Amino acid sequence: MTIQYRVPSGSGGAAELTVAPLAERFGVRAVGEVGLATRGIWERALEEVVRDGRAVCHLELAAVTFVDVAGAGVLVDAARRLPAGRRIVVHRPPPALCRTLELFWPDLSAIEVAMS
Amino acid sequence: MSASFVHPALFYADEHEYLDGTVPFIREGLAAGEPVAVAVPGKNLALIRDGLGDIADAVRLLDMREAGRNPGRIIPGVLRAFADAQPAGRRVRIIGEPIWAGRTPTEYPACAQHEALINAAFAGRRVTILCPYDVRALDEEVLTDARATHPTVISSGREQGSSAYDWEGVVSRYNEPLPVVPDALSFAFAADSLPTARHTATREAARFGLAGTRLEDLALVTAELTTNSVVHGGGSGELRVWAEDGYVVCEVRDTGRLADPLAGRRPAARDQRGGRGLLLVNLVADLVRVHTGEEGTTIRCWFAR
Repeated sequence: MTIQYRVPSGSGGAAELTVAPLAERFGVRAVGEVGLATRGIWERALEEVVRDGRAVCHLELAAVTFVDVAGAGVLVDAARRLPAGRRIVVHRPPPALCRTLELFWPDLSAIEVAMS
Repeated sequence: MSASFVHPALFYADEHEYLDGTVPFIREGLAAGEPVAVAVPGKNLALIRDGLGDIADAVRLLDMREAGRNPGRIIPGVLRAFADAQPAGRRVRIIGEPIWAGRTPTEYPACAQHEALINAAFAGRRVTILCPYDVRALDEEVLTDARATHPTVISSGREQGSSAYDWEGVVSRYNEPLPVVPDALSFAFAADSLPTARHTATREAARFGLAGTRLEDLALVTAELTTNSVVHGGGSGELRVWAEDGYVVCEVRDTGRLADPLAGRRPAARDQRGGRGLLLVNLVADLVRVHTGEEGTTIRCWFAR
């Protein structure tokens, strides 16, 4: 699973997000930011993760600088569609994502936040 | 017992009138098995807690200076947060005091609109919200507005219908223009410059001393407001950031019109996919002011430094 996407950058300020599979365990590494222009990429990457049957999916977000509220909603929506017992582990999420998860979905068991 | 929403203003002149108007109201609610919450400024909260004695533990007590610092936060974050969490069908009782003498002229229009919009937010619901007003400390204009935002007024222990009741009039009267602030950093954005808009705002806010979670909140708010402009507000807009007293202010202007007066004041259902942008803005900012009309919409947010 590899989804690569770049917004054509006319002004030099457009959002970019690349998503690629992790080598060491099941899941993906995202680089860039999740906003209006990159939400589709984010959504498709999470759809694939949810479709796969494995118990734990890792999302490596150390190189993601920002996730807006709709992007957090997409993640939560994906996690909710997981069958019981499966979960998404979010590694080193940007502070904005932690803040929205804490504000709107404080006790969601299908998402685990790991700082490593 | 009435099935519909009950929303009296309580005009009080001293501590005795305050306690006479609130403590029996709370006791009655508890005796009827109604869940009760009290959100009033800290000093009054202490009075009520002492007045209740042992039964204070049965009441949810909140300092409105904290929970309701931004008036736009009170409906979703305090009133509905409490009312919606109670068993369905049970009448809920709340005391909410959002307006006190220390409210600034900048905050007041948002306070008056909040009081007015409570009527829309709770129409038809089995909820009673009693709103105390300190008649000695507040301006006559504030009391005049309270008569327009509450269908009934309790004064000297007597409750009377308010002939001045007109909450929609208050919402539109305090939809005050927010003139462009000169010398603020300004940035014109469109779809392809949303990240730059956010970076511009956070850089300027950091320069003015905003840090940590507050700076993250400003980044989130900027992203939501600018994205709203691109998606719903004509495709582009203007962002401005400046410092004012102890605050960093972030403002977004576009050519859209905000048609729904309760936008950003409804709590999001857990499984609701989107539509949290303006709610987030209301929950995290210290003050939100909005002006909307034919010529466009301006949303201005204050963050304490």
